[in-house]
Amino acid sequence: MKTQAFDVVVIGGGPGGYAAAFFAASSGKKVCLIDKRAELGGTCLNEGCIPSKALIHATEVMHLAKTAGEFGLTFSKPKVDLDKLRKWKQSIIKKLNDGIAGLCKKKNVTFIKGRAYIEETHLLRVETEAGQQFISFENAIIATGSQPALPATFDLGNKRIMTSTEALELEDVPKTMLVVGGGYIGMELGSVYASLGSKVTIIEAMSGILAGADQDLIRPVMAVAKENFELLIFNAKVSKMATKGKQIEVNYAVDGKQKKSLFDKVLISVGRTPNSVNIGLDNIEIKTDEKGFIVVNEQLQTNHSHIYAIGDVAGGVLLAHKASKEASIAVESILGHRVTKESMVIPCVVFTDPEIAWCGLTETEAKEKGIAIETSKFSWAASGRALSLGRTDGLTKLILEKDTQKILGMGIVGPGASELIAEGCLAISNGLYAADLAETVHAHPTLSETIMESAELFFGHSAHAYNPKVEQKSTV
Amino acid sequence: MEIKIPNLGDGIDSAIVISLLVKEGDTVTKDQTLIELETDKAVAPVPSPAAGTITSLTVKEGDTVANGTLIGHLDGGGESSSEPASAAPVQTAPAPVPVKAPSSVPAQTASVAIPKPVYNESVATSVSIQKLAYRIGLDLRYISGTGSSGRITETDLINHIAYLQSLLNQPSAAVESTPKPEVVLPDFEKWGTVDVEKCSPLRKKIAEKMVTAWQTVPHVTQQLDVDITGLMALRKKYNPAYQKKGAKLTLTVFAIKAVQRALEKFPQFNASYDAVKNEIIKKKYYHMGIAVDTENGLIVPVIKDVDKKSLLTLAKELAEIADKAKDRTLSVEELQGSTFTISNLGGLGVGAFTPIINTPEVAILGIGSGEFKPTGDGKTLALKMPTCLSYDHRIIDGADGARFAMEVKNQFETLSESEIKEIS
Repeated sequence: MKTQAFDVVVIGGGPGGYAAAFFAASSGKKVCLIDKRAELGGTCLNEGCIPSKALIHATEVMHLAKTAGEFGLTFSKPKVDLDKLRKWKQSIIKKLNDGIAGLCKKKNVTFIKGRAYIEETHLLRVETEAGQQFISFENAIIATGSQPALPATFDLGNKRIMTSTEALELEDVPKTMLVVGGGYIGMELGSVYASLGSKVTIIEAMSGILAGADQDLIRPVMAVAKENFELLIFNAKVSKMATKGKQIEVNYAVDGKQKKSLFDKVLISVGRTPNSVNIGLDNIEIKTDEKGFIVVNEQLQTNHSHIYAIGDVAGGVLLAHKASKEASIAVESILGHRVTKESMVIPCVVFTDPEIAWCGLTETEAKEKGIAIETSKFSWAASGRALSLGRTDGLTKLILEKDTQKILGMGIVGPGASELIAEGCLAISNGLYAADLAETVHAHPTLSETIMESAELFFGHSAHAYNPKVEQKSTV
Repeated sequence: MEIKIPNLGDGIDSAIVISLLVKEGDTVTKDQTLIELETDKAVAPVPSPAAGTITSLTVKEGDTVANGTLIGHLDGGGESSSEPASAAPVQTAPAPVPVKAPSSVPAQTASVAIPKPVYNESVATSVSIQKLAYRIGLDLRYISGTGSSGRITETDLINHIAYLQSLLNQPSAAVESTPKPEVVLPDFEKWGTVDVEKCSPLRKKIAEKMVTAWQTVPHVTQQLDVDITGLMALRKKYNPAYQKKGAKLTLTVFAIKAVQRALEKFPQFNASYDAVKNEIIKKKYYHMGIAVDTENGLIVPVIKDVDKKSLLTLAKELAEIADKAKDRTLSVEELQGSTFTISNLGGLGVGAFTPIINTPEVAILGIGSGEFKPTGDGKTLALKMPTCLSYDHRIIDGADGARFAMEVKNQFETLSESEIKEIS
């Protein structure tokens, strides 16, 4: 059988995989990109970030229409055409799929649709519709991603029990819905269904939603969630699910008491598992950790130094932009540059209402690690732009290294937080100080001003807020 | 009176004090060794210029001294120091290099600013500079930033690299700072009791010299028996006459003569090799190094111009330098300039061995103990002395080595009675 030879072969066509393939190709490598789907873009584009944001945008319009009454605009109750919404969402995905496929051609990246298995240290077998193909390579990048976790006890083979993948298909709007897991996927998709009319219950094993985010940022999200959702249950553990006619009976324990409820649909969002099985890792003994994530070093190299793993399958935070950044580090390493992922600043963004975003060090982390910090918090109640948007529940927070005031972290809650956080990433990765942000002119009236003002507030000269700790008393 | 460092010898500008043998308040005799110096050639004692009491000693171990450097004062000597007072003391430390303060304005000159040594855990710089620094292996924590709040700018990085580059252009400093590879010895006490003794600086010097010779010079040792039956008879006959003149005829004395005459015929054995320039330096003088066994270790004093000296003079000088070597009173002058070396172990009853060349010389003659062996006809016995000629195979071919060994043998065997009895 003929074996095709490539410099670099990338397994998985998501935001890590295609970024790696394109960068390697642009750097003069002969590249092969393999994905089990015919469409490129991976989970992110096909059943993750992009479709969820499309749906969230649609429901935001509904929410805005509802609240516009406050400033004298009233709309009649919107009519939801699910087919049209689904088609619109699909058209966005299609456009982006085609865009990536076009780039793939332009960059002379050979795309193969099929399942790849590592056979030997420099050989892949690919199962395609046309049969087996063998591919030899100098370097390989494993970017197979992750999939929604579905614990066996919940896997009844009943379509009413969904993961994020099925929930994004938006088959219907159930009357009642249970979301198991109050992380970002559960909160985002729960909000979509709630806006469309479902009575949504969130059940979470921990004491609060969005583990990892600071409490002061979560507070405004919780306030909205309490209005939008039927019920939020914390410190609760789901023990059993059973089909009861056209409904699902859910048994759960809270405060040591067993409870039972019926829901039309259930969304399981309890995390994601790495796609590290059935890709031939065992054939050459590529090491994985106890959860199945591939073990990599600072250069994203596996225990076979010519084979890299990036993105979700390599663990860490499971976010598309982290995968893309790792793609460039891995390719640079293949190109012979000395690089490290050590100083990556990865922003975390949750598209709840309102949005939450943070990057670098959080207050919680600083406390856990015993890092001496100072914070400066600017409430959006003092922002003209926030008021004019009718959203004053936002907050912008700086986390500064004690004594030096170097910016170590930033946290934002409020509409547009997902866009604003970029400035925090820029500041942290470039080692800026609070003074640098305070000295940089920000346009008025914008939400971005809150970043400058939070820095100014630290020094006591914010034009719109008061910090009694640093006010200088007049000597007159 | 002042005690000053005497002339250290040609081509030696400075020496390091390696040991102080006296202290303030000690009573010393004239020529008693006060301190020992290490030059790049040898370990040399500094003798007391007069008898008296040491009132002060102003050097310590590790100090660098030069000709005329004042090292202390002596009371009761009366005479003036043998060295001219005009000899200026030299600085014992290099002049400090002027440090240019880092400037926030990039200097457009070729001069390199010497950065302040810094260590800063909280580095502030752009992500592109971090990436570049990581790629070329620079630890930014050691680079001083001149931007606002100590931010490391691109100029800081460029200046730091220029500074590192400038270090490479100072070969002496770079070479000295290169750590020698360490040989880690096992813990011998695991297997039994041991005794650890500190070695003398002389031992260290010998060790370093032997390693250099062994590693840089490909040695060949040519062995040959010399019939000294006749020579020993002559020695027996004339030794009493020499002893009357305060000298002793030894085999080493004969060896000096025999070797010197062979060297005249084979000048490439009285030479040095400059591997860098690829040149042979043939010396027109014959200074013989004599390996002397002392209780401190091997010392090689030198007898100058052996071609111009009679057997009697050589016998006297040989005894003199051997005594001085044992008393550690040899001057640096007496330890330098040899063109060939003789190592006579015959007195210890051993046979042939493989001597190591006293670099930068190119050959050495080892002598073992004579033994009676049958002669060519197998009927009579002759006293055969093993000679072992080690030579530098880089510049001396095997056939020449053999020819020279034969010439030395020939010279030994043909030393004339008339020459030996010539005691004037």
